[in-house]
Amino acid sequence: MTALLRYQAALLVRSQRWLPPFILYAVFLAVGVQGGQPVLDSLGYTAAAVLPVAAWLVRICAGNEPPAARAAVAAAVGPGRAHLACLLVALGAAAALGTAATVVVTLISDPTNTDHQIEVARLPAGAAGLLAALVCALLGTAVGALTTWPLLRSPGRAVPAMMLGALLAMVMTGSPAKSAITSLVTGSRAGTIPVPVLPLVAAVLLTATATALACALTSRRSS
Amino acid sequence: MQGEFRLIGVGRRYGVRGPWVLRGVHLTLTAGSLTRIEGANGTGKSTLLRVLAGIDAPSEGSLTGRPRTAYVPERFPAALPFTAHGYLTHLGAVHGLARTAAARAADEWLERLGATGYGRTPMAQLSKGSSQKVAVAQALLADPELLVLDEAWTGLDAAARGELERVVAERTASGASVVFVDHDPARLAGAPNATYTVTEGGLDLRAAQAGSPEPSGPHLVVEAQGPPGARPPAEALRWATSSTETATPGHHRLSVPGTHSDVVLRALLTARPPWHVARVEPETTGTPEEPAGVAVLALPARSATDEGRR
Repeated sequence: MTALLRYQAALLVRSQRWLPPFILYAVFLAVGVQGGQPVLDSLGYTAAAVLPVAAWLVRICAGNEPPAARAAVAAAVGPGRAHLACLLVALGAAAALGTAATVVVTLISDPTNTDHQIEVARLPAGAAGLLAALVCALLGTAVGALTTWPLLRSPGRAVPAMMLGALLAMVMTGSPAKSAITSLVTGSRAGTIPVPVLPLVAAVLLTATATALACALTSRRSS
Repeated sequence: MQGEFRLIGVGRRYGVRGPWVLRGVHLTLTAGSLTRIEGANGTGKSTLLRVLAGIDAPSEGSLTGRPRTAYVPERFPAALPFTAHGYLTHLGAVHGLARTAAARAADEWLERLGATGYGRTPMAQLSKGSSQKVAVAQALLADPELLVLDEAWTGLDAAARGELERVVAERTASGASVVFVDHDPARLAGAPNATYTVTEGGLDLRAAQAGSPEPSGPHLVVEAQGPPGARPPAEALRWATSSTETATPGHHRLSVPGTHSDVVLRALLTARPPWHVARVEPETTGTPEEPAGVAVLALPARSATDEGRR
């Protein structure tokens, strides 16, 4: 599995297809987050934007290999494991991006609540932001896994489905991502730091299910 | 490969209600077997190979005893952001080799297939034939127990085509199972243990041979000297189409398919006690003359077969 992950990670890094989502994410943060803003608000914003990036990265990773190269790897390790490595690399990239952004935003933001009255400790706030970013990275991976090969093949349907899925995952009541982000925003109003562990557990379960489904289908669908 | 790899009543269709591409396929692959799959275009040969390689799961039926598998696709578009050597090192590791071993194997196989010069070339710049060599090398890196070749010869140059035939002979001789599809009827002619035809989604056994190659295709004559009264090693006899003892006691003349000459020579030279290879030459049509005397020239196996190919 290590060799597979290394191979998929090298594919992603060298393909340079990760650049557009990374740049878009940076632009999005530059517009939406400024130094001196309340820390929890900014962290909510930072985490939310990770979700579509993760979905996009899954789409990139799943399409990085030509079908013949994918077949060669699938014969060696099984198509399910090959696809699992691909999804894990996308998740890892999204989580790394989210973590880096969370650290920067935590450092440049004002450690207070929304109306700058109540002090909010920087470190626990950063930890809460990290958990929320992780929840969003996981859910984005789930959305990506469900809206790309082997579940959806034609880009005409897959890309709109991915965008709609990412949007719904962010705004729909009951979505772990939505509840993690909301907990940061409401926490910021009250000046309390939330611990979004429950959304994280839910996100892990949801993503594991989506990943298992996608991997199980790899050998049943044509490439 | 240990034991048997079996397909039991395997069927495959795309989609839940799609037409059956394959149905009711029973196939048993044993260690050291070479199997040829034939059939017209679009009959499901590639689908069968994908099922054999484990890329596609059967829609019905089951597979038992899957060995370590490698697959060579027919076309290998090299749109990958690696050098040939870099890609092969990654794939070697994916096939289960340690990283240093993978890098070494990549060098070896690029050299064997005559692609050392392209090792550091980005894959995107490789010609069709060179990227096919990378596809072949990828499958051979970690000595697979089952090798599935889907028209793997297509696009290779003459030297690499010959090398791949000899590799197939080597792999089967060392106990791996090889399955191939190729549009050239002369490909490994006489060597397959069994030839199957895919017709209307089913599989018909067309010819089964117990590992005794037909006397067709280019042959080499190998003359070897063993202890007086001894028979040539079984592994050598297995691939020889004929074996006769000459006037000199212990001196044998073996007629061997060109693809299997290396395997036979290796069997002779590594036998206990080792046989002395006296002469290797292309078989001439008509009755070969009795040699005037035992030549004491032992040719290296590789250059001997190179002679044979020219």
